[in-house]
Amino acid sequence: MPYDDLRSFLRVLDEQGQLLRVTDEVLPEPDVAAAANAVSRMGGSAPALYFDNIKGFTSARIAMNVHGSWANHALALGLPKETGTEEQIREFARRWDRFPVRPEWRDAPPWAENTMTGAEVDLFRVLPLIRLNDGDGGFYIDKAAVVSEDPDDPGNRGKQNVGIYRIQVKGPARLALQPVPMHDIALHLRKAEERGEDLPVAIAVGNDPVISIAAATPMRYDENEYELAGALRGAPAPIARAPLTGLPVPWGSEVVAEGVIEGRQREIEGPFGEFTGHYSGGRRLPVIRVDRVSYRTDPVFEHLYLGMPWTEIDYLIAANTCVPLYKQLKADFPEVRAVNATYTHGLVVIVSTAKRYGGFARAVGLRVLSTPHGLGYASTVIMVDEDVDPFNLPQVMWALSTKMNPSHDLITVPAMSVMELAPQAQPAGMVDKLIIDATTPVSPDNRGNYGNQVRDLPEAAAWLTRLQELAANR
Amino acid sequence: MPEICPRCAHDTIDLLFASPVAEVWEVVRCARCQYCWRTSEPARRTERDAYPESFRMTAEAIANAPEVPSIPPSRVTP
Repeated sequence: MPYDDLRSFLRVLDEQGQLLRVTDEVLPEPDVAAAANAVSRMGGSAPALYFDNIKGFTSARIAMNVHGSWANHALALGLPKETGTEEQIREFARRWDRFPVRPEWRDAPPWAENTMTGAEVDLFRVLPLIRLNDGDGGFYIDKAAVVSEDPDDPGNRGKQNVGIYRIQVKGPARLALQPVPMHDIALHLRKAEERGEDLPVAIAVGNDPVISIAAATPMRYDENEYELAGALRGAPAPIARAPLTGLPVPWGSEVVAEGVIEGRQREIEGPFGEFTGHYSGGRRLPVIRVDRVSYRTDPVFEHLYLGMPWTEIDYLIAANTCVPLYKQLKADFPEVRAVNATYTHGLVVIVSTAKRYGGFARAVGLRVLSTPHGLGYASTVIMVDEDVDPFNLPQVMWALSTKMNPSHDLITVPAMSVMELAPQAQPAGMVDKLIIDATTPVSPDNRGNYGNQVRDLPEAAAWLTRLQELAANR
Repeated sequence: MPEICPRCAHDTIDLLFASPVAEVWEVVRCARCQYCWRTSEPARRTERDAYPESFRMTAEAIANAPEVPSIPPSRVTP
């Protein structure tokens, strides 16, 4: 049963023992962020957190870590919470095959209950905004779905974008937004600025869990995130028209803020502790003027802590980074078996592939760099054989230990693009990329002394089942 | 109201928001570096003396901060 809003998902998390309610009074800072930081240290079955007793507020509600474990990610996709990581990624890939599923327009969105317009807009009165990390330049909204259109092709559904971007609250109706140049909203903003226009945006806070997953997926420019949400949900995503901009926004959002990114303006923003586990420096970023806010009564502020990995964001950008890369590689090279891009949004990508002939695996590795996502990520690509599971890091380390000879197998590609938040870039936005070919050489590549590889005995699989049964029945 | 910004030491601080429960905390913002903080936060975020050196910002750093993304050439003919 798909979720139509955040609240219905919170109820299921609660029923499944995956929502921890903190009922004692807490300080807005540092308590809420510190608790969300701590909960991500509880591992792959960590719960979401719900705060409703925050000092100084009267009706604040904050949900943290909603996607912050494999258990919660499974429940978001409607799978049993015990579902393993790889099975979740395989299921995600199977559902991707149903893409596109057109969204469904629905009337009377709950966020239409309350409205502020013009000079009365005050985001501090709507959301219990808080600081996350010590060095952050202010209070951020970092899990909202930001909706925009291509100014050169308005109304083109494919070129619409729903994405998650970091947003600093700079005033009651003034925000700053970071459009990483490789991301779709940066293309929209560039076109608007070339035209000398502002870019209308709708910022939807507090969403059903699949909207956040789709919004965080590195889809192609002309692919629609709502149509992916429909494929993942197994039912059309419910949307409604935002009243000021006319943009399609999630029907079930808690808060919808509308306004414009002011064209050709930049202002000091940040720093902000980023998904790289490092602060970005202070930079001059675009600013948003908010002209209208629509919100449910007593909205739940769905918020995300990010810090030294893994934290919630790593779960939110794991499966949905692997699958589009896998699909794009597989389309050209059917030999590709699996892609693990779960680390830092795919700054490292591990690909397992069969080989056609010598040199094939490294060619697939080079192809990773020229996928749309690879342009901004994939600073290191590790290629492993088809019998190495890229999600099994001990196996990957075995491949690196035995299949890789630095004299031939490290392919450095100088001066490639990378998103400028990558701390290793020099200068920011440029990096030398590395393909590590840790596959077994095949003809006519006859390097090394591989002989025969030891493989699991044919009877071992049956013995594994037998031993597991014996262990279970002890 | 605080008198100086813990991050850049500027002395113009604006009030953004006061706690819905009266007189518990205020949210304030530096007019120069835009640093925003709640008065109830720990000293390491609110007091100049305790604010970590590595997070401090100078007027020069603010003025020279890189522009991201860069503003593209206009297609509009003047």
